[in-house]
Amino acid sequence: MNLFRFALNNLQRRPARTSLTVSAIALGIAAVVALTSIAWGFEASWQKANDARGTDLIVTRAASENTMPSPFRAEKVQQVLAALPHVKEVVGLLSEMLTVSDDAPPVFVFGWVYSSYLWEHLKLVEGRWPNASAEPVVVIGALAAEMLHKKTGDQVEIEGKSFQVVGIFESNAVVENGALLMTLEQAQQVTDKPGKVNVLNIKVDANTTEADLRNIKEQVKMTLPGFVAITSGELVSQNAVVRISKAMSNATILIAGLVGALVVFNTMLMSINERTREIGILLALGWQRGTIMKLVISESVILSLLGGLVGILVGVGIAWGLEHIELMRGKIDAIFSIPFFLEVQALSIVLGICGGFYPAFKASRLLPSSALRQE
Amino acid sequence: MSTDPHILPNNLSSARLPILRIEGLTLHFDGGQTKALNGVDLDVCEGEFVAIVGASGSGKSSLLNVIGTLDIPSSGELFFGAQPYSKIKDTSLFRRENIGFVFQSFNLISTLSALDNVIVPTIGCAGSDHEHKARAESLLIELGLRERMAHFPGKLSGGERQRVAIARALINRPRMVLADEPTGSLDSDNAIQVLDLLTGIVKQQGLTLVMVTHDASVSARADRVVRMRDGKIALPVGAYGDTPELIGGAP
Repeated sequence: MNLFRFALNNLQRRPARTSLTVSAIALGIAAVVALTSIAWGFEASWQKANDARGTDLIVTRAASENTMPSPFRAEKVQQVLAALPHVKEVVGLLSEMLTVSDDAPPVFVFGWVYSSYLWEHLKLVEGRWPNASAEPVVVIGALAAEMLHKKTGDQVEIEGKSFQVVGIFESNAVVENGALLMTLEQAQQVTDKPGKVNVLNIKVDANTTEADLRNIKEQVKMTLPGFVAITSGELVSQNAVVRISKAMSNATILIAGLVGALVVFNTMLMSINERTREIGILLALGWQRGTIMKLVISESVILSLLGGLVGILVGVGIAWGLEHIELMRGKIDAIFSIPFFLEVQALSIVLGICGGFYPAFKASRLLPSSALRQE
Repeated sequence: MSTDPHILPNNLSSARLPILRIEGLTLHFDGGQTKALNGVDLDVCEGEFVAIVGASGSGKSSLLNVIGTLDIPSSGELFFGAQPYSKIKDTSLFRRENIGFVFQSFNLISTLSALDNVIVPTIGCAGSDHEHKARAESLLIELGLRERMAHFPGKLSGGERQRVAIARALINRPRMVLADEPTGSLDSDNAIQVLDLLTGIVKQQGLTLVMVTHDASVSARADRVVRMRDGKIALPVGAYGDTPELIGGAP
């Protein structure tokens, strides 16, 4: 028998109340785990897609914070960028989320400059790539092929125009795996945005330094008012959806923390009130007030750690489930990590200590003779 | 026989020093309206068995609570050896190191086994879990509970529960045991058995025993009987058969 076993024994006395408290904490923690892993996954999957393409800088409208930046006419901007020192290649990219099948949720449709470096990181697993910029064909990501039930040789209808699927590819980035890909020219035609792109991707030469990249950013700022050159990480972190989902995840952490602490507070206060006489006995037997505090806080921390553990498992389950529902497939890639789970358990410990502190303090201040008189 | 509570029976005063000295002790509640103790003076020798008798409400249990530092006196002073109670900074630590309590209603924790109940006071004390367990087992064996250690209080008889409570009172090697009607909830056979064990082990270990009791047969075993009335010591009665009628007159 030691303090930990005694605390555990006290929690086992009221299994229903202990289970309910653990469940309430677990729900809050599960919401934190699910939302945070999805928010991080959303950010990471977009960054992975940008990084995979080998793009060094992205030029976009300065004020744009949408998932994909607002389209703009590329030609003049492209000419200015191509003339900057160290810039090796400037290629446009157009993206839209479109419904391509009545029985499947909308998917991303990307238009990339034909035979540009953007295509190089993709792995063709079936069929072929488009043969010309003007060829009205698409290649589709492996996940999109599964979701849309399409294979090489099938037709897909996009905005009323029919395209033949000529190949299926795989990518490290889930947003590309769940997308349809065509040449930029075809994408501009089908979305009725001739000459427009969402972003211009810049690839610099091999001997470009960090200082050179900063210089390119400055040059863009000065010569192209209303545009900005940023890294893929900056583009994603500025993204409104990423920012909203991060804000929601932070708000959930705050609410879950507060609710969890209140639940622990309520449970421990009830428990202390019921055990007043027993605490009197412990004090009479020579337990120091600090030991009484340790006992009550141990009980509240055990409760919150259990809640945290169950919450992590449920949260992972929710995130996994969301990843796999038809509407979200190919758009999010929830990220879980041991450090994140440790942070969640640290949050659980903090809420356990916060929730248990006042009941523990109250218990430790009981006058033994009065406590012993309680029935 | 002297009626001065500071004067001890002849056979004790020369051999033993007072472990407990109480001077002008009062304990008031409700802003002084209720006077539980009203000027108590008493010396208790090391190794002595003192029985406190008196009518209900006479202040017996209040006196025990103040001696055990469970209540804070309104005025007066107590000394444990040379140490004044008013200078004790940590009363819990003082209790743990010096006092063992035995209650009438056992006060065992129902969800812990007999062995764990005995170990509970050692939580937070120096020494390993293994050492505490070994001592608890040894005490329970000494008190005849070898086969009952794993049982929960609900499965023990009243006498067995009180024996567990005695083991619990002794686990931290106190110098003084305070017993508040330890046989009050037991039938006569169990009461005799528990009293034999308690007095035997206390004597064997040279501990001081202060016991509140209503039972004349219990107080008859004491070295000294102290009668309380209206929060005061009515008459300290020397043991060894000095005034059996007073002892017997206790309600």
